[in-house]
Amino acid sequence: MQRSREQLREFLFPAGTDNWLTVLRVGLGFQVTFYSISLRNDWNYLLSGTARNLAEALLSLDSHFVPRLGWLVALAAPVDLRQETVLSFIWICLLAAGCCLLVGLACRLSAILAWLFHLCAAKSGGFVSYGVDNFMTIGLFYLMLSPLPDRYSLDWRLRELRPKDPQFLGFWRRVLQLHLCAIYFFSGLTKCLGSGWWNGSSVWRALIRPPFNVIDPEILVRWKCLFPVAGIFICLFEITYPFFIWNDKTRKIWLICICGMHLGIGLMMGMYLFALIMIILNVAAFGPGLIRAEGKRISLQPQEAVS
Amino acid sequence: MRQKYVYVAWFCLHFLLIVSFSCRETLRLVAEGPTILPSWSKNFSQKAEGVLSIALGQRLAASNPVRQALATYLHLAGIEAGYGYFAPNVPGSYRLVFELHYPDGRVEYELPSVSSAAAGLRIAGLLDTIGRTAYDVLREHLVRTLALSIWREHPDAKTVRAVLGSIKLPTASEFEHGKRESYEFLYAYDFSLQNEPAKPKDR
Repeated sequence: MQRSREQLREFLFPAGTDNWLTVLRVGLGFQVTFYSISLRNDWNYLLSGTARNLAEALLSLDSHFVPRLGWLVALAAPVDLRQETVLSFIWICLLAAGCCLLVGLACRLSAILAWLFHLCAAKSGGFVSYGVDNFMTIGLFYLMLSPLPDRYSLDWRLRELRPKDPQFLGFWRRVLQLHLCAIYFFSGLTKCLGSGWWNGSSVWRALIRPPFNVIDPEILVRWKCLFPVAGIFICLFEITYPFFIWNDKTRKIWLICICGMHLGIGLMMGMYLFALIMIILNVAAFGPGLIRAEGKRISLQPQEAVS
Repeated sequence: MRQKYVYVAWFCLHFLLIVSFSCRETLRLVAEGPTILPSWSKNFSQKAEGVLSIALGQRLAASNPVRQALATYLHLAGIEAGYGYFAPNVPGSYRLVFELHYPDGRVEYELPSVSSAAAGLRIAGLLDTIGRTAYDVLREHLVRTLALSIWREHPDAKTVRAVLGSIKLPTASEFEHGKRESYEFLYAYDFSLQNEPAKPKDR
């Protein structure tokens, strides 16, 4: 009993550097920045009016305490700030938070603001939200709670700030790793339940379904014999991810294949933001330590890493 | 050391929620089907999903503090939904076309439009919600929202008819034989300039 408790402790609190946190911070900085820029012209259109009120009303049926844009709009109402002005201000804050995360300036505050404003937008725009928002919330939630700043941030280099609890660096990486394992296992499991992923029809449908029909179906249909192979590979790689990603020998293969799959989704279906967030989460969780030279560096204890 | 115990306790609860909600989503997908599993699995999944929902407090009254606290945490952490994207099968999609009728008898056609591909993906998600929802009132409200934004761009239009259709995708073999995507009419709503309530047409 004592031994298994010790093993669990070692597993959940491994020693390691903050390289993974740098990847997560910079990656999410890019993600939040691209997310903001990609929606700059449609931000107010997507997040104002009846659709937002409806989404927030439905959210209230679930919980009254989830942050939403309506709160911020209501807060600004007494000072005669129009809804459009508030939404534009939130957009600017989100973009600024993304840029600050990118360079590592005011890391903790930037992470909290990015999480909060993105969450508000994702929840208030419930009808126009999709998977990417879910994964951004997950990534920003873990980033916000992790021991920031990391060694490569401006906070560390210029302001000489140090994390408060560096001994928990390994813990937060472990949480992200285990969460990804659960995500891929259930994603693979649910795909395996559909016949379309075994006979390739789901791959075909995913690629020709508007608005993901980036590639001309006339070109795609020439490769139709590959669809069943692609479908089966997607199912198998996802469902076996939690079993092969931990092994030193198979980790590189699984990580490359999964990132390749997301890159393919991004390029072939136009889901660039979705591809980017999944690659960021995977590389942050399992990337550092993959290359041998990197492996030597992570033998540093957290205390040494921050000294 | 004590701090570590707190972290472990939080992790156990957090991971339990992730797994439980993912299991519930998987059971729901099996219950709703179609899947490759035998038909008896539908009944089993339905019952198992019900039991899991009770265990997770999802059958408590909406105002129940435990349910509210749990839902809040799930949303804050981004773990309120499962991960069954495009599963078990890839669903079809929907198209919404607006017919703008002008006083001089002219008719123009418009699609909901946004200025970037990223926003386009979001509008497609909205159309999926409109097409799939079982609630007529919600569907009508969402269509009205989109119709109003179209109207703002074409203030001269007298009436706007919104026509929602589902897109039928051909299989790869059908596509090779010349079949292309087709549309099946689902709903139509008429909106007039006087802000009269929408008049849904029969399906």
